[in-house]
Amino acid sequence: MARFLLTRLLHGLAVIWVVITLTFVFMRLAPGGPFDRERRLPPEVLANIAAKYHLDEPWLKQYGRYLLGIARGDLGPSYKYVDRGVSDIVTETFPVSALLGVLALGFAVAFSFPLAISAAYYRNSWTDRSCLFLATLGVSLPHFILGALLIWLFSLQLGWLQPGRWEDLTSTVLPTITLGAAPAAYLSYLLRSSLVESLEEDYVRTARAKGLKEATVLFKHALNNSLIPTLTVLGPLSAALITGSFVVEYIFAIPGMGRFFITAVTDRDYPMIMGVTLVYTGLLVSANFFVDLLYSIVDPRIKSH
Amino acid sequence: MLKQPRKNAIPSIPALITFFLLSSCNPFSPTGDLKTFRVNLGTEPPSLDWSLATDHASFNVIANLMVGLTEFDKNLKPAAVIAKSWDILEGGRRIIFHLRDDVLWSDGKKVQAQDFEYSWKRLLNPKTASEYAYILFDILNAEEYNQGKIDSPELVGVKASDDRTLEVHLKHPVSYFLSITTFEVTYPQRQDVIEKYGSKWTEPGNIVTNGPFLLSSWKHENEIQLTANPDFFLGKPAIDKVEMFMINEKTTALAMYEQGRIDFIDNQSIPIFEKPRMAKLPGFKAVPQLRGYYYGFVTDRRPFDDVRVRKAFSMAIDRSVFPKILHGGERPATSWIPPSMQAQNPKIGLNYNPPEARRLLREAGYPDGKGFPQVTLAYNTLEDHKTVAEAVQGMWKRNLGVLVRLENQEWKVYLKKLKTDPPHIYRSGWGADYPDPDNFMKLFTSLSGNNDTRWKNPRYDQLLESAAREFDEKRRIRLYNEAQRILCEIDVPIMPLFTTTEHTVLNPRFTGLEFNSMARLFLREVRPASR
Repeated sequence: MARFLLTRLLHGLAVIWVVITLTFVFMRLAPGGPFDRERRLPPEVLANIAAKYHLDEPWLKQYGRYLLGIARGDLGPSYKYVDRGVSDIVTETFPVSALLGVLALGFAVAFSFPLAISAAYYRNSWTDRSCLFLATLGVSLPHFILGALLIWLFSLQLGWLQPGRWEDLTSTVLPTITLGAAPAAYLSYLLRSSLVESLEEDYVRTARAKGLKEATVLFKHALNNSLIPTLTVLGPLSAALITGSFVVEYIFAIPGMGRFFITAVTDRDYPMIMGVTLVYTGLLVSANFFVDLLYSIVDPRIKSH
Repeated sequence: MLKQPRKNAIPSIPALITFFLLSSCNPFSPTGDLKTFRVNLGTEPPSLDWSLATDHASFNVIANLMVGLTEFDKNLKPAAVIAKSWDILEGGRRIIFHLRDDVLWSDGKKVQAQDFEYSWKRLLNPKTASEYAYILFDILNAEEYNQGKIDSPELVGVKASDDRTLEVHLKHPVSYFLSITTFEVTYPQRQDVIEKYGSKWTEPGNIVTNGPFLLSSWKHENEIQLTANPDFFLGKPAIDKVEMFMINEKTTALAMYEQGRIDFIDNQSIPIFEKPRMAKLPGFKAVPQLRGYYYGFVTDRRPFDDVRVRKAFSMAIDRSVFPKILHGGERPATSWIPPSMQAQNPKIGLNYNPPEARRLLREAGYPDGKGFPQVTLAYNTLEDHKTVAEAVQGMWKRNLGVLVRLENQEWKVYLKKLKTDPPHIYRSGWGADYPDPDNFMKLFTSLSGNNDTRWKNPRYDQLLESAAREFDEKRRIRLYNEAQRILCEIDVPIMPLFTTTEHTVLNPRFTGLEFNSMARLFLREVRPASR
C-alpha cells in the first residue's frame, strides 16, 4: 500500500512539473504581451516595467526564478493587480470558489443519486424517461442561459433572491444550482446506466432469490457495485468545481478564482496564468490520488493490481 | 419497495412558460436608505495607487478619495482646488503653484507642497515603473530621470520651495500643463505612509487620503466601501457611505438596479439591447464622451499609399448610420478633436459624397473598383467593432465597388499585429487623459508610438509643437484647425467615424451626481432628491 501511494505521489509531482513547464513556454509564445495597450507606452516606460518584473531576462533565467519562487511558496506579482501578489489573490479568491464548488457538488450528488436510483429501478417507465429528460436538460443548458433564467425568475419576477453578489447564505442559492445542474445531470446519467447494468447481474438475481429485502438488494448489492464509474468522474469533477467557473462567477458577481482562468490569459498576466494553472493541476492531481485510494476501498481487486 | 414519485412532481413545460409570460414586470420598490449610495464599478480596480493606476475602475475610486492641485470646471477648464492660484512665468516655462493651507490628510496632517514633489518624482522614478510616467515628460529632466540617464531626482524640475509653494520648470512652454494637473496621477502622496507600508499602502487602514470620502473597506473582487470625510476642506458630503460593487456582467448589474440594490448605472451595467428602454427611465442621461473611434490607413501599403484612394474610402462612408446600428448615442464625426474640447471643428473633414469618391478612385486607376487589389480591414474581436466593420464594408462595396476583406483578432494579438504585420486598414480609438486637443492630436505625429498609420508630415508635427506652446486661445485654435485639415482632409491617414456617448441612469431618489466626459464619476455632491 505504501509503495502504491508513493508511486502515485511521485507521478503526481511529475505531472505538475510538466504542466508548469508547458504553460510557461506556451504563454510566452502567445502573441502580445502583458503591457501591450491601446495607449502605447513609450519605450523607456516599457523598459522600466520589464526591469521591474525581470521580463528583460532570458527565458531560462525567468523560468528558474519562477521555480525557485514556487519552492518558497511565492507565486510572484500580478502584472494587472499591481499592488497584490498572485499568492494573495489565490488565497483570497480560492476559498470562495471552493465553497461554491462544494455546494454545487453537494447539490449534484444530492440531486443525482435519488434521481438515478429511481430511474434505474423503474427503468423504461415514465419516471425513467422524466429523469432522462431532466438529465439531458441539465447537461445541455449552458451556464449563462440557466443563470440568466434563474435570475430572471427568482430575482426579477418573484423577488425572492438577489441576482448577484456573494453576501449571505441566500446569495449562494442561484449560483449553486447553476453550477451544480450540469454535474448533477451527468452524474445521474452515469449512475443510472451502471446501476441498470448491475441490476441485471446474476448476483442481484441470487440476492433476490435468497429473499433479501428489496432495499438491501438495491443499496447494498447493486449500488455498491455501480459506484466505480461515478467515483472516477467525481475526482476531476471536484477539482473543476472547486477551482471555480468563469461563467458562473461572472454572471453572479462572485469574488472567486474561476474568472482568472480567462482574464489572466486575455490580460497576459503571466504569473496569474501560472498561479491558477498550478492550483488547478495540484487539485486535479490530489483529487485523482484520493479517487485511487477510494477505488482500493470500494474494489479491493484494484489494490492488488 | 420504493414509493412511486408523485405524479405532479415535475411541472409541465407549457405551464412554466405560461407562468413566465403572465408574470408582470419588476414590481419591487427600491431598498436601501438615503444615506448610502451604491454604484457598480464593473470590475476590481487593479490598483488604488494613483502612480500605478491606469484604468477607469481605479480612477473612479481615486477621484472620490483624493483631490489634486486643480479639477475641471463645467467647461472642462482647470479650476483651483488645492492650488489657490498659480503664476505662469518665463513665457510658460515656469509655473508656481500657491497652495491652500486648510487641506488636511485623513490622519490630520496638512497637505504640503512636498507631498506633490514626492508624488511626481515617484511617478517618474524608473523603479516605480509607472505606465503614466510620460505624462510629466514636459518637466525639465523628467524624461531623462525616467530613462535612467540621470540618477538624481534633485535635477527634475519640480520642487517645493516651501510648504505652500510648488515650483515647476518645464523644458519648453506648455500651454496645456494645467490640464495635466487635473489628472489623478499627479495627486499628492505621503512619503511616510508609502515607505511604511510598501505595496500594501493602499489597503484600508494604511491609506491616507485628502478627498471627500475615506476608504473604509476593500473586499477584493467584491466591494469597496467609502465613508464621508468629516474633515474634507470643502465640507462633508451629504451621503454617509458609498458602496462600490464589482459586477462584471451587465445583465446582473441591471437586474440589481431594477431591484433597487444599485443607485447608479452606466454603460458597463447596461446591455446594448436594453439601451432604448433605459433611455425612457427617469434619471437617464446621455453623456457625450471625449472618446473618438477611427479607422486608420497603413499609408505605406499599396493601394493606400495614394491619397486619392484614402480620400475616396473616407468619402464613401455615411457616418449617420452608426448611431442607428450601435444604439449608443454615437455622434458621427469627420474631424478628430471631439465635441466640447477646445478647437473642435465639425466643419473639417470629408463628408459623405459617393460620386466624388468614385471620381477619386477612377482617377487613381480603379474605375468602379476594377483592378483594385485585395485589401483587409482588421479589428479586435468585439460585437460592436464587427457591426461597424460590416456596415462600412457594405458601403464601400456599394459606393466604390470594392469588396474589402474583414479580419478580427483577440485584443493582444491584434495589438501585436498592428506593429509587426499591419493590415491595410485598422480600427482604433482614443479616450482623453486630459481634455486638451494636444492629447488627441499628438497621436499622429511622426514619432508617436500610437501612430500605426506610418504617415509622417513635418508640417503637422510643427503645427502641434507650436500649438502646445501657444497660450493665446484664438491662435491656438487656428493652429489646430490647420493640423486637423491636414489630418482629415488633405493627407487623410485616418478616417474619424464617431465619438462615443455614455448612457447613465441615476435612481431618482438621488441627485447631484456628476459623470463627466472622461467617464469619471464624482460623488461628492450626491444627496437625496427633495420630494
